[in-house]
Amino acid sequence: MLDLALFLSLLTIGYFAGRVTEHRHYKSILLREKASLRLPTVTSNMLPEVDQIAKSFLVTGSCVISIDYFKRILAGLRNIMGGRMTAYETLIDRARREAILRMKYEALGSHIIVNTRVETASIFSSTSQNGIGSVEVFAYGTAIKLKKTL
Amino acid sequence: MKYTPKLLTKNVNTSTTHPLREFAILTGGILGALILVYVLLGFALEWVVVPRIPQSVERSLGELFLGNYAVEDSPERQYLQGILDRLVEHEPSQTLDYQIHVEENPMVNAMALPGGHIVLYQGLLDRVESENELAMILGHELGHFAERHHLKGLGRGLVLLVLSATLLGDQSGITQFLQDSLARVESRFSQRQEQQVDEFGLHLLQKTYHHVAGATDFFERIQKEEPEGPLSYFFASHPSPANRVDFLNELIASAQYPIGEKTPLDLPE
Repeated sequence: MLDLALFLSLLTIGYFAGRVTEHRHYKSILLREKASLRLPTVTSNMLPEVDQIAKSFLVTGSCVISIDYFKRILAGLRNIMGGRMTAYETLIDRARREAILRMKYEALGSHIIVNTRVETASIFSSTSQNGIGSVEVFAYGTAIKLKKTL
Repeated sequence: MKYTPKLLTKNVNTSTTHPLREFAILTGGILGALILVYVLLGFALEWVVVPRIPQSVERSLGELFLGNYAVEDSPERQYLQGILDRLVEHEPSQTLDYQIHVEENPMVNAMALPGGHIVLYQGLLDRVESENELAMILGHELGHFAERHHLKGLGRGLVLLVLSATLLGDQSGITQFLQDSLARVESRFSQRQEQQVDEFGLHLLQKTYHHVAGATDFFERIQKEEPEGPLSYFFASHPSPANRVDFLNELIASAQYPIGEKTPLDLPE
């Protein structure tokens, strides 16, 4: 009985805390994306003419986000039935956008980030009873500062 | 190549399904399927396998269980056996050699094990005051034998064990949640069974003593000792003592059973 009560309260806490955190994070992501819209971030590896480049350097951004208890359980149930793991979608989406934003922040003052790559790694432990379910997204690219503006 | 800044207005990477909706669908589906399998297998065992278990198999099953319980012939045990034997004489479907075992355990409990073995815990004996209420408890356990609950319970327990072990495997939160939910279903079954055998015990008490004094004493005492909230027994394996008292009193009233003199319990030391 106590087990079930504990489980249900964790589930409720996880659900509400997760909702609030996610909502806030998205709000902040949208705001910062808008603010940093002027810095082109492309996957193309075409560089401007070499004599135009004043400075180029590596920029990185990484972000680790964990799921809440509710989503962990939801994903566990989904694991039995199969299908789209919707519980994890926002987790990955947030981590990816946050990582890119952090990379852009590191590139402040430059004109463009080229050759942007995004990589991901899961941080989890399946051995313990309440395994950690987190994802790391790592974004990196080459920031380029031109001699004069385009 | 011209670069066009574009702000995401719609997110194609995340679903719009409400997580609570998904949770409801998933739990509903999985639990529904599990309960179906559990009930079907449970009933298959109950109706097909259990009635066909021969007594020889039941006896050897009983010996398997009895390994945990001391079998020493004390005057106390013989006295209790005497009460049981009197009841068994009036038990219509007596097929087994019913035997009493006393377990040195402070818990208030009694059990019906395969092979006709009734285990009484010392904690229960300490709380019993009259022979009549003890007879009611023994009658209750004899009821379990008559209905073959001891074997049916074994079968469903086995199904529950196999189901949870194979389907869910590890001891994660989800497994625990699903197991608990199944156990809740089981408890509703078992409360009905308990009521059934309370009725059996009452009729047996009447047949043996020709009155039913003391039938509700034990449950009343337990109820006074541990007052419980209205919901605390909802998921328990037994109905609440208060419910059992009410149920028995209704039966006594409708069958118009007389209430006679109680015989005090005279346990030899």
